[in-house]
Amino acid sequence: MIKLALFILFLPLLSFVLQIFFGRRFEEKKGEWVSVGIQFSTLIMSLVMLVMMLSRSDPDFSLELHQSWLDLGLFKIDLGIYIDNITVIMLNVVAIISALVHLYSTAYMAGDVRYSRYFGFLGIFTFSMNGIVLANSLFMIYIFWELVGLSSYLLIGHWWEKDSAANAGKKAFITNRIGDIGMFTGMLIIATVLGTFNFQLIGERIHDGMWAANAGMLFGGIEPHKLLTIAGVLVFMGAVGKSAQFPLHVWLPDAMEGPTPVSALIHAATMVAAGVYLTVRIFPFLTADAMATIAFIGGFTAIYAATIAITQNDIKKVLAYSTVSQLGYMIMALGTGAYVAGFFHLVTHAMFKGALFLASGSVIHAMHHSLHKLKDHETDPQDMRNMGGLRSKMPITFGVFMVTTAAISGIPLFSGFLSKDAILAGTWAYAANVHDGWLAHLHLAWILPVFGFGAAAITAFYMFRLIFMTFYGEAKKPQIFKHIKESPKAMTVPLVVLAVMSLFIVFTLPSVNPISDHGWFTTVVQAPESAVTTGAAFDLENFEHGLHAAHVPAMVTSIIVAGLGILLAVLVYLLGKISADNLAAKLGALYRGSYNKWYMDEFYINGIIRPFLKGCEALGRFDLDFYDHYLINGWGRNVKRTSKGVGLADDLIVDGAVNFSGIVFQWLGWTLKFIQTGKIQNYLIFVLIGATLLFVVNVF
Amino acid sequence: MNLNQIMTDLSYFIPEMMLTVILLMVIVFDLFQKAETSIRAGYLALGGLALVTLSLVGQDVSTPTGIFSNMLAVDGFGRYIKLVVTIGAMLVMWMSFNSNELKERRVGEYYVLILTLVLGMFFLASATHLLSIYIALEMVSIMSYLLSGYLKEQMRSNEASIKYVVFGAFSSGILLYGFSLLYGLTGSADIVEIQAALAAGTISPALMLLILVLVLVGFGYKIAAVPFHFWTPDVYEGAPAPITAFLSVAPKAAGFAIIIRFFNVAFSNAGNPNLEAWTALENMNWQAVIGVLSVLSMTVGNVVALQQTNIKRMLAYSSIAHAGYMLLGVVVADQTGIAAILYYAAIYMLMNLGAFFVAIHIKNAFDTEDIEDYQSLGYKAPVLGVLMAIFMFSLTGLPPTGGFVAKFYLFRALIEYGDQYFWLALIGLVNGVISLYYYMRVVKAMYFGKMELPGSVHNAPLNVTILLVILALPLLFGWMIGDPLSAYAQDAVQFFIK
Repeated sequence: MIKLALFILFLPLLSFVLQIFFGRRFEEKKGEWVSVGIQFSTLIMSLVMLVMMLSRSDPDFSLELHQSWLDLGLFKIDLGIYIDNITVIMLNVVAIISALVHLYSTAYMAGDVRYSRYFGFLGIFTFSMNGIVLANSLFMIYIFWELVGLSSYLLIGHWWEKDSAANAGKKAFITNRIGDIGMFTGMLIIATVLGTFNFQLIGERIHDGMWAANAGMLFGGIEPHKLLTIAGVLVFMGAVGKSAQFPLHVWLPDAMEGPTPVSALIHAATMVAAGVYLTVRIFPFLTADAMATIAFIGGFTAIYAATIAITQNDIKKVLAYSTVSQLGYMIMALGTGAYVAGFFHLVTHAMFKGALFLASGSVIHAMHHSLHKLKDHETDPQDMRNMGGLRSKMPITFGVFMVTTAAISGIPLFSGFLSKDAILAGTWAYAANVHDGWLAHLHLAWILPVFGFGAAAITAFYMFRLIFMTFYGEAKKPQIFKHIKESPKAMTVPLVVLAVMSLFIVFTLPSVNPISDHGWFTTVVQAPESAVTTGAAFDLENFEHGLHAAHVPAMVTSIIVAGLGILLAVLVYLLGKISADNLAAKLGALYRGSYNKWYMDEFYINGIIRPFLKGCEALGRFDLDFYDHYLINGWGRNVKRTSKGVGLADDLIVDGAVNFSGIVFQWLGWTLKFIQTGKIQNYLIFVLIGATLLFVVNVF
Repeated sequence: MNLNQIMTDLSYFIPEMMLTVILLMVIVFDLFQKAETSIRAGYLALGGLALVTLSLVGQDVSTPTGIFSNMLAVDGFGRYIKLVVTIGAMLVMWMSFNSNELKERRVGEYYVLILTLVLGMFFLASATHLLSIYIALEMVSIMSYLLSGYLKEQMRSNEASIKYVVFGAFSSGILLYGFSLLYGLTGSADIVEIQAALAAGTISPALMLLILVLVLVGFGYKIAAVPFHFWTPDVYEGAPAPITAFLSVAPKAAGFAIIIRFFNVAFSNAGNPNLEAWTALENMNWQAVIGVLSVLSMTVGNVVALQQTNIKRMLAYSSIAHAGYMLLGVVVADQTGIAAILYYAAIYMLMNLGAFFVAIHIKNAFDTEDIEDYQSLGYKAPVLGVLMAIFMFSLTGLPPTGGFVAKFYLFRALIEYGDQYFWLALIGLVNGVISLYYYMRVVKAMYFGKMELPGSVHNAPLNVTILLVILALPLLFGWMIGDPLSAYAQDAVQFFIK
């Protein structure tokens, strides 16, 4: 299994090397199929691992291989891979999406200027992502964390001639860096206290009381439990950046400047889920307070991003905000302790959101070709206001859209229903049963179900809005509509595969009950025990007890709110009973707020970046006007006079000392050189003198 | 000692026996070659050494054993040194094929002498008896004399050889005084028994110190520690360049082997030679004495190297300084210290051979050994320039090269030993800074200063480039892949102690 994992890890790197060094040369000879082939072979290997895992069906299965990398005595860094059921499932998610995206890209990116480079970057992305999945320590995760950040940057800026693409790449990179600083600080705190980065060892050592024993001593008497909360939240900051949680979510919508398959692979299904995966890995050592923070950030992000998605007109932007919102769901689930549900949603979401992006890519591709035929370079191929009625022209894409929208909206029979329902039940149980953590202490825990159900309703609404605007009604631009064609097989096949993966049965086998998530997934994935012993840890047992009670009411409520959302969308966008414009006018400020993404970018620019630059400018002016003018010039003459004296001293003393030591060594060398007379007689005498001196000096 | 015992012991002696057979084969083979084709004897010798390396790697040293009535020891420590020596010899042979100095000359015996030298170092690395130590030492010395005088018609080469002989005879004479005192006072020539007798504490402190100094003169000359180093610059300059490279690396490693083994077994405290918690013998504070030698070697080596303009002489002095660094590890001579020396020996072999080989090739190609003439080499011969820069950085001990890691381990051993040798580590650091000056002078000459951009680019022959890349790669990437050498050196610290 370890060998398979190593192949899965390194084969995509091979693909990168081949494409970067030889890609250009083989572009005409279909060189991209090397990458596609490599990706599908890792998919097969991942599936083999999955089958092995399922035949074992052991929730506690784990394997570790590590190798000392840097050994500085007291401080050691091991690199290694760690495999458990979560790893295997995650490897499969990455392999499936990556393989399908490779296949899809052969059609979507055909004729691109940097075609082979594109495949090379996909390769290094897949390699880095697998690295994150297989990492056995925070340190190793961090290495690959930065590598996925790099590949994301490269792929967002794939069309760097466009300013917006280049800027989006930079924005993604810099925003992530802010989260990473927190993550790195948190890692260092943990390593300082426990002397290791290894996940298993961190868990064991915290459990054995090492944290309680060392933390206070090393960090100036801070209460160990508080420090553990701080460390947990800091490491989680990495996830805030990578998984685009509020307030660092701003990069993800802009990242849609990259090619659409990249958006599907990196910015919907896998890389952005890395933050969730990290939270899964650190789950055992989160304190109740840290969990409350995580739950709150996740919940807030879920509803906040959902409200923005309602009013966007760019088809990819809607999906981008939807991704942010769904990631918030996962994070919230982990924060409330619904570990299985959070990870479950990660997997189901990867499938249906990957499909949604690829399907939107299919639409954009069709639009693009149509516009190309018309030689129209003005119309935006991604604006839903230019679409409409595409159902008849693109039946496969439409079908896939329907299935996956049903999944994301939480309609029974589809995977999203199961995972979303589990999360909502989790928030419900959290509000009812959990008494630790600041949310509970402030009696604010009920806000999580409100966020959760609210976001569920809004999600159903904006997703169906998207479908109705794109596929139903009259074609808004008939001349464009005329040239729309269904996409080629290389694009529709991945779509269909992912749509099938969005059915509930994929995750519940051998059980076939559409309203219960009981199946292979819940058998092999089980929440780990909390390792926290320093104070309030998360009370998993109590929580899971509550989960059972919350299951049915949460399910009923979630179906009702989703139904309401869909109903509203039908009324507004399909039947036109309620006019969207009137609604917008009535809601006024709310509408504008949502449309402008609650002015978050403006806040950053006007509230943080501009003032910062202004501050720099002011300091500069202070420097120039006050400091230079009065202090420097005023004192200049005096200083000039004294400086002559000082300069003299400097020459003599400071430089003198430096030069002197140089001169001394040169002189010493020069003198010693003359001991080397070339006469053997002298040498022997020197040896005797040396030996005698050694003897004499040591005797006395 | 019955025949069965000898047969058993011989099974531990396979690498040495193989080496002997190969040596004889090369002699006979050479008899049938004309002068022009005598290089084939060299190929045969190289192939033979490769086999010896394999048999060394395969040797079972899990339980340290004494063979031939404890004349020699077979243990992990000895094997490590033997590996360093054979690999060094192979690399040097490879470079010798490309040496202009040896062209148009009958070279069969040259390779035979190198093989014999290797055999001598094998003995030196495993000797545990005064007799075997002395014989091994002489074997190494005599082969070195012959090799340094190999260019018979050159005055310098002759002079080097003669100086080396006189100096060597003188030093080994003094060593013999020390040995005879040891034998006379303890009644034994086996170093383990000597230890037992010395630890009884009946010998006067002054006599103990005298023994220490006499023994140190003998061993110190082999590793070229100051003040027993005077032969080095003259011999290094006169000898054929590949031999200079070899002498600066392999006999030094073997010399360190015997110093470590001898001092740790014979001169450390009773019942405690097992490295974990040992102390030096009472009345014989050799740690301080070696500390002094170390400081002297580092400082004199570096300071005089500052003044050199000839690259070979510069490297000769710098090799004295490197012996000083390695002596730092002997001062603490515990598990970490010895592992650090072993690590340093291997890394030093790579970087020093690399630097010498570049110098040899420059001499072949541009006929100069003057550092000033390295002007704009980085542009004239870009591949060589980059490689030379890597070797220079590594010799200085700058990260991220292996030289840095090696120095780091040495200093760490000192600092972890306790506060008492912290000052030594500091002096070591200061010396590192001094060495920066003269190593970087080479780099500066190659890349900065007056530039004349050449019309065409000079490339070394492919086999030289490959050889240099083989030397440079571990320096650059060894630590990145988890530093397997370090783990290997750690495992090798394991002696035979009866």
